[in-house]
Formats: sequence, C-alpha cells, structure tokens
Amino acid sequence: MYAARPSGLFQARRLSARLAGLLALLVLVCLASLLWGAGDVGPARAWAAITGQGDAEAQFVVGSLRLPRTLVGLVVGLALGVAGALLQAVTRNPLAEPGLLGVSAGAAFAVAVALVLGATATTMRIGVAQLGAMVGCLCVLGVARVSGAGNDPVRLVLAGAALTGLLLSLTSLLLLFDQRAADEIRFWIVGSLAGRRLEHLLAILPSLLLAGAIVLAVARPLAALSLGERVASGLGHRPGLIRLLVIVAVALLVGAATATAGPLAFVGLVVPFAARALAGPDIRRTLWLCLPLGPLMVITADIVSRLLVAPSELPLGVLTALCGAPVLVAVVRARRMPTL
Amino acid sequence: MSLMNAMRLMREEGAMHGNTAEDGLQQQPVGHGYDRATAASAPAGHWCLAWQLGGARAPYSVLVDRRAFLAALLLLLGLLAASFAYLTMGSSALAPKAVLPALVGRGDLMAVFLVQELRLPRLLAACLTGAAFGVAGCLMQTLARNRLATPGIIGIDNGATAFAVASVIGLGVSLAPPAMALVGATTAAALTFGLAAGGGTRGYRFIVAGIGVGAVFGAITQLLLAKVHIDTANAAYPWTVGSLNARPAGAVMLLAVGLPLGLGTALWLTRALSLMRFSDAVASGLGLRVSQRRWQVLAVSVLLTGLAVSVAGPVGLVGLIGPEIARSLSSPRGVPVMASALAGALVMVLADLAGRVLLSPIEIPVGIVTAVVGGPWLLWILLRPASRNLA
Repeated sequence: MYAARPSGLFQARRLSARLAGLLALLVLVCLASLLWGAGDVGPARAWAAITGQGDAEAQFVVGSLRLPRTLVGLVVGLALGVAGALLQAVTRNPLAEPGLLGVSAGAAFAVAVALVLGATATTMRIGVAQLGAMVGCLCVLGVARVSGAGNDPVRLVLAGAALTGLLLSLTSLLLLFDQRAADEIRFWIVGSLAGRRLEHLLAILPSLLLAGAIVLAVARPLAALSLGERVASGLGHRPGLIRLLVIVAVALLVGAATATAGPLAFVGLVVPFAARALAGPDIRRTLWLCLPLGPLMVITADIVSRLLVAPSELPLGVLTALCGAPVLVAVVRARRMPTL
Repeated sequence: MSLMNAMRLMREEGAMHGNTAEDGLQQQPVGHGYDRATAASAPAGHWCLAWQLGGARAPYSVLVDRRAFLAALLLLLGLLAASFAYLTMGSSALAPKAVLPALVGRGDLMAVFLVQELRLPRLLAACLTGAAFGVAGCLMQTLARNRLATPGIIGIDNGATAFAVASVIGLGVSLAPPAMALVGATTAAALTFGLAAGGGTRGYRFIVAGIGVGAVFGAITQLLLAKVHIDTANAAYPWTVGSLNARPAGAVMLLAVGLPLGLGTALWLTRALSLMRFSDAVASGLGLRVSQRRWQVLAVSVLLTGLAVSVAGPVGLVGLIGPEIARSLSSPRGVPVMASALAGALVMVLADLAGRVLLSPIEIPVGIVTAVVGGPWLLWILLRPASRNLA
C-alpha cells in the first residue's frame, strides 16, 4: 500500500503535466484558427481585430466566422474523441471507432431520412442524428456479440466498413429522390466546420452535458470492465448496465457531433490511440487526455483544410481520413494486436 | 481439369466436327484401345472428350467438369435473357418483338436509334466491365485465399479512381484516364501488398490494411475534386460513384481489347489457380512455381480492375458478388474463372437495368445499386457462423 502510493502520485503528477502541456498547445491552435483563414484577412489584421482595434471587415470575419467555427471544432473534437475512447473501452477493441463502425453513418442516414420526410429545424436534426447513432451503436454491439466476431477486432471493423458503405449508399439513394434535401445536405455530408453558427452549438450543449455526466459516473466501472466481465461483476459492478449507459453516452456524443459537423471518420480512432500512447491503457487517464487531444486534432485539420487550397476550402473529412488511415494501418500491422 | 480449358478445347472440337459433347464421345474411332480406356476412366461428374486432330497419331482427350459446364451454360443463358430485357426496358419501353429487328437495323427508326445508338453500347460496356470485375475479383480472392479480398475492398478501385480523376481534371499530366487508372490500380495494389508483407495475405489484417489504403485514396479523390472548378468536378463525378452513364469511348475500346487478353491469361492460369488454393508448400510440392504464378495472377487482376474502373468507376462489389455466385453454382473442384466472368457481367447488367428502370425519370448510378445489394451480402459473409470461411 505504501509502496504503491508514491508511484500513483508520480503518475498523477506526470498526467497533469501532460494535460497542461496539451492544453497550452490547444490554446495556441485555437489562436491560430482565429488568425489564419481562407479569406484575405491576414494574421496581422485578425490580431488587431482580436485586441479590439482593426477594421470592421476583420472584426466581422474573426468574430462571426472564425470564432464560432473554432468553438464548434472544439466541441466536436471533444465529443468524438471521448466517444471513440468509450467505444473502444466497451468493445475492448482498439479499432472501434464511431466513424469506422457505422455509428456516424447511421446518424447521417437518419438525418437524410428526416430531411426527405420534410424536416428542416436544426434541433430536430440533432435528435434524429442521435437516434440514428443509437441504432448504429446497437448494431455494432450486436455484431460484437455474435460468436466469433467480437473476439476478432479486425473482423468487427470489416463488418463496420460494410455497414458504413451500405448506409452511405442508401443515403445517396435517398438524396437522388429529393433535390431539396440533396442541396441542404450536400455540404454537410462530407464533414465540415464551415458556416456553423453559435446557435448550433447551443442546441447540442444539453445533450453533451448529459453525456458528460454519464461519462463521469461510468468511468470507474468501465475501468473495472476492462479487466473482464467476471472481474467487474465480482467488484460489484453491473456489466449490462454499464454497457447500456456507455452506448447512450456514445450515441449522444456522436449524434451531436455528426449533426453539427457531418460524419467525420477516424477522429475517434486517432485520439484515443494518441492518448493511450501518452498515458497507458487505463480508461480513467486516457479520457482526461482525450479532452484536449480531440479538439487539437479537429481544429488543426480545420486550419489545414482552410489553407491547403486557399481561396476555396477542403472538406474536413478528407483531412481526418488522410491522418487517420495511416494510424489504422499501423495498428493493424502491429505484430501483436493490442486488446483492451 | 479446370472448367475453362475444357470449354475452350471443346469449342475447338465443336468447330472441327460440328458435334455436341456426347456425339464426340460416341464417334471415337473404336479401334484405339487407348481411347476406350480414357473414356471409361472418366471420374464421376466429368465428361471425357477424346478426338483426333487431322493425321496426328496420339488422340487428344479432355475432361469436362459437368457441373461447372452446366453452371457456365446457365449463367450464359441468364446473361442473354438479361441482355434482352436490358434492350427492351427503359424510360421508353420497346415491344419485345421490335428489339431483334432493330438490332440489325430494321423496323421503326426510333427503335433502331434507341437500341443501336443508346442501349447496345451501354449494354456492351456493362457486360465488359462486369466480366472484368468478376474475373479480377475471382483471381484476387484465390491469390489471397480470402473471399473478402476483392479489388474493391482492398482499395485498388479507389486507387484507380483517384488517378483517373487526377488525369481528368488535368493535374499537369495529360495521360489518358485508362492509363492513369492502371497506374493507380498498380500503386494501390503495391501499397496494400507491401503493407501486408509482414503478416501475409491470409486473414483479416490484410483486408483492413487494404481498407486503410482505400480510405487514403478516397480522400485524395475528394481533395482533387475540391481543388477544381465545379464544371470540371462534375465531369469527373461519374468516376466517384460508379456509373455507366458517361463512358469514355477510348476506355471502352481499351477494355474491349484488354478483357479478352486478361480472360485468356486467367484461363491459361486456371490450373495453377486451383493449386494455389492450397498452402504454398503443397502447391510447390505439386510442381507449381508459386511466386512466379502469383505475380502473373496479381498482374492480370490489377490490369482488369484498372481498365474496368476507367470505364465505369469503382463498382467494386461486383467483384465480390460475381465470383460468389459462380462459386455457389459450379463445382468446388476448380476455380470458376469463366463462370465468374459471366456472373459478373450478369450482375452488372441487372444492376444497371434496375438503376435505369426502378425510379424511371431519375437514374440510379450502378455503383449505388450494387452497394445496396452487395452490402448486406458482405455483412452476411462476415457474420455467419465460420463454417466455410475461405474460398
């Protein structure tokens, strides 16, 4: 007991040092996101606007375009990173990722159905996306419990890829029917932060808070669950209940993020991967690191997507895929597949 | 004996004697005891065909797998029926009676125009691409000993698409799209196989590495499309979903040349292919030069995929469904190359027909139809009890 204590303290200190470093990095990236953009308001003019001087155009661009966008990136990255970590912990599979397993595609499909049926309101879209994400999650866990597939992480990913392909083609089929829905959805379906306003953010905030509360309640039992179902129930937890709560949290997070920014693949894979590399496999520690890492990745990708093809913009999903696919290959290539 | 060698030989024989298979068997010169021995020793489920060429002394004989032959015949009949339906149905339906005269240029001028100018070229393109995807899928599955390892799933389609789109939007390279699609298919195949080199091609890791490669190339396609003017992007759009609507004429010609070449090579390789289904040690013990044959099979598969993608875009699931149908119909003794080609063509024709007819004023791209049909199939293969997992 005494021997364990200093090392635990040391680990906690090291964790908080890393957390502080990542937070500082995140602040810098947010600042960069305010300063650089696709338009012709350069860093100098943007800085003047931030400090309260500067011309009206710069103030408008920074205050009404880049600031909401950065905040949306912050929230979306946070939600996706945490959702990825949760899903990986509950399926005990390092490749489980909302985008890869069809959870995001489920949300996108639900939104497309709602649009074709005539929905327009933003709040409606969030609820629908969360419902779709929920169904996607249940499919994934159903698949994971089919004998054999759950034990093989890679097979689960394949099933997810098949499900994603199916749902995405069904979505585009629906959009063929309905030109109005296609126009509304076209810039959303590729995944982007452009043109999102603060109202969108406020609309998803309640569900994010609810998900956060669930995560706080469930983090400790989840760590026990990673020791195996029997150990967890021996320690007095109820695996079925934990799993259900985690699914609800993942659906809330992914649904909210997808409704805001479109289906972004690979964020939920890369972020927990990096967090585990920094803090080890304990979910209680990786969740803390996912908080700054998710926004870090999304906002950085967003900045690059603005600058790469300068007067126009790149879909954000393209960049996250470019970052994420190599990580996927690296995880798969690792000689010994890590199991969680 | 593999199906296709048998069929090819039989066709030669038919041309020579004008006989059916059974006739050929009965009309052998009775004086040769050798012939009777071979005819009598035909294994169960096979036909043994023997004949003499001109003045040659030694008789030639060949075994025809009965079930494989019947499967190919069935698929061929199905393809003919589907083609007839394809020519008849559409946004303006023709009377079935009018189709055949219109094919040779007789009858109503409108019907002739519809059939000869609009539907027939598209039908041919569908058959060619479907057959190419089917054969490529069958070869790749046999090579990787994994029925999920079709070119569409391991990212070769996406690689070809990315390069073809790059050449369409003119990224400083003015090579024709088919050539660029070939380069892209080769690059993606090299990447996937290179990345999987450590773990071998067995098992699911290889496939997930391929999915990763495919995701990168898909993202590159999007990147290229985002950089250009909207009209150019629209010109390149058919390549991203898979459609037979805007087929470049040059690419179709190239495929029409390349498909017989690739199919012929594949048929020539069938014997090696049926040995390659065993482990490398067994195959080389039976006298197969495994690594050399493997390169040949891979080259044919990549060639066919690249050419087909440059015509129709990534309709990769045909490469999964076609061989799957062919395998369930024909006998498990050989690798059903010819049946895969026919089944692939059949699936492609039916999918495009469905896409044209179902929502009539709107046309569903054939890539979406195959994805909607093939997705559940893929899931079922993945999730059913693992009794017959490998091809």
